Amino acid sequence: MPYHEFECSKCIPERKKHAVIKGPGEDLTSALPLGYLNTIPGSISERGCAYCGAKHVIGTPMKDVIHLSHGPIGCTYDTWQTKRYISDNDNFQIKNTFATDMKEKHVIFGAEKLLKQTIIEAFKAFPKIKRMSIYQTCASALIGDDINAIAEEVMEEMPEVDIFVCNSPGFGGPSQSGGHHKINIAWINQKVGTIEPEIISPYVINYVGEYNIQGDQHVMMDFFNRMGIQVLSTFTGNGSYDSLRGMHRAHLNVLECARSAEYICNELKKRYGIPRLDIDAFGFGTLAEALRKIGMFFGIEDRAQAIIDEETARWKPELDWYKERLRGKKVCLWPGGSKLWHWAHVIHDEFGVDVVSVYTKFGHQGDMEKGISRCEEGALAIDDPNELEGLEAMDMLKPDIIFTGKRPGEVAKKVRVPYLNAHAYHNGPWKGWEGWVRFARDIYNGIYSPIHQLALLDISKDDIPTDKGFMTQRMLSDKDLSEEITSSTVLRQYTGKYDCLSELSKKTYPGFDPVLADAA
Amino acid sequence: MDDLMKDRIEQLVDYIMKKCLWQFHSRAWDRKDQNEGVLTKTMQLLCAEPVELETPADRCFWVDAVCLAEAYKKRYAWLAAMNKEEIKLLMQGLHERMDHLTITGSLNLELTDRHY
Ligand code: SF4
Repeated sequence: MPYHEFECSKCIPERKKHAVIKGPGEDLTSALPLGYLNTIPGSISERGCAYCGAKHVIGTPMKDVIHLSHGPIGCTYDTWQTKRYISDNDNFQIKNTFATDMKEKHVIFGAEKLLKQTIIEAFKAFPKIKRMSIYQTCASALIGDDINAIAEEVMEEMPEVDIFVCNSPGFGGPSQSGGHHKINIAWINQKVGTIEPEIISPYVINYVGEYNIQGDQHVMMDFFNRMGIQVLSTFTGNGSYDSLRGMHRAHLNVLECARSAEYICNELKKRYGIPRLDIDAFGFGTLAEALRKIGMFFGIEDRAQAIIDEETARWKPELDWYKERLRGKKVCLWPGGSKLWHWAHVIHDEFGVDVVSVYTKFGHQGDMEKGISRCEEGALAIDDPNELEGLEAMDMLKPDIIFTGKRPGEVAKKVRVPYLNAHAYHNGPWKGWEGWVRFARDIYNGIYSPIHQLALLDISKDDIPTDKGFMTQRMLSDKDLSEEITSSTVLRQYTGKYDCLSELSKKTYPGFDPVLADAA
Repeated sequence: MDDLMKDRIEQLVDYIMKKCLWQFHSRAWDRKDQNEGVLTKTMQLLCAEPVELETPADRCFWVDAVCLAEAYKKRYAWLAAMNKEEIKLLMQGLHERMDHLTITGSLNLELTDRHY
């Protein structure tokens, strides 16, 4: 598996060990990109800071909490509303962002007084909210404000409130991943075990590493409710602060995004003996297997099977409609961390696309081990790429679409490569059987949008044909398909609703099995 | 080990690497436990031997093992023609190869980190 050197990065020789091409017959012991290292000076990284990783990725999806940044206003503003982790309490945590708004004078004279005043002001402004997370930033860390002491003081004065302190300043790690790590450990050290949750089912899980992007968690909760499983907490999408304090009572940790949340699962295993089950919930086959495993763990696999059968029958003809039209399309799978391995194999198997490159902005070598194992031969794997490398890779690989974040996505658009937002999604949720079809539909719309032909015409100099219309999506996508497929009465396009979540919130469930005394 | 055996082990490895996640836990000691736990139980299932399900950890290994054993039986028809002793040898070879790929031969520098 040879390292790949980018032309544009020849002047940064250290970059060479951050990219490999998966060669035939080679395995992970022959080459693995370096990862989770400080970005090399001169390479303009696409990473976020460790404060952002702690607050924006993991802390803020907690719904019933005032999320307060102790620092300059820019830190909180720039991490506000860039991810769509919705919640069932009217999105309190997305609508509002809080900061102490530190200025130069505070850097000189200290900002502890300001912090205390802001905490009290925020609680008074939102009297129904009794929980708070405070996030340290570079500025407050450098001047040495004792955030924990102030939080203790306030909790003494206002016994009805509870405050969590996350000391993960921007410089506290090579990337946002440093912040994921710090907040995981801080949460288990400070908060887990401080509340005894009510156990109402014999089957109790924590659902960990799920951030409820565009409602993913609601979709998964539907399956768990149908199976009679009590989800004690979701770490952290749509999760409530107090439910996450009771994580120690679960029977099983179901772990999705291991990159951002494996630490807390490992600690829960070590400290409380709760096993960690890693799952993939994106995709038909993968999600089916995940539910079966959870079902088998509790001896209720028949309930999982009933869901699998029903959902597969409902959505498979729609998945296959898209698969026929996406087959062989080249994809660069360029997300932040875990989706490079959650998706690499299953988009190939179930959408028929070919993954020609995987990259990760903040992943560790463990993520690359998983991602490289799952993609096909010949794929280019890049760690912490810079913008020029991204452009060079697109030029070399000629992808039909890339799945990435907004910043590199907009760059791709400039070279006329469509992109889908891998972090916040286009028309999610993308989890669940229906969600997976919605993802396929987004890919289809991205690749076959008529805009690509229209954008090639320059109205200032090209002749604009007025006697014929443009090629529609179907004309483009169906031109090489057989009659059998184009006129199939089985396959069909997505038939779900624009809003596929509101029905879920109205559903009723059979309830939980009784908890036996010795199992409680 | 003969070439046929090696080739079969590679097929089994390939399935795990593409479809599973349990082999890539964070630290060397976790990976050792995972490989041991899941592959031992998979071997017992393939050989129709009793599987211990005493602890929650056992059950967790077992659910991964059940899925793996089922997939192996479905994909690799040659397994059906093997006797117990042959399956045990094959699974031992698989276990050694997985330990090599994910632990002893791994280039992942974080495996030896002493903390999570
Ligand atoms: S690097 Fe520091 S200053 Fe910049 S956003 Fe992150 S915490 Fe704020």
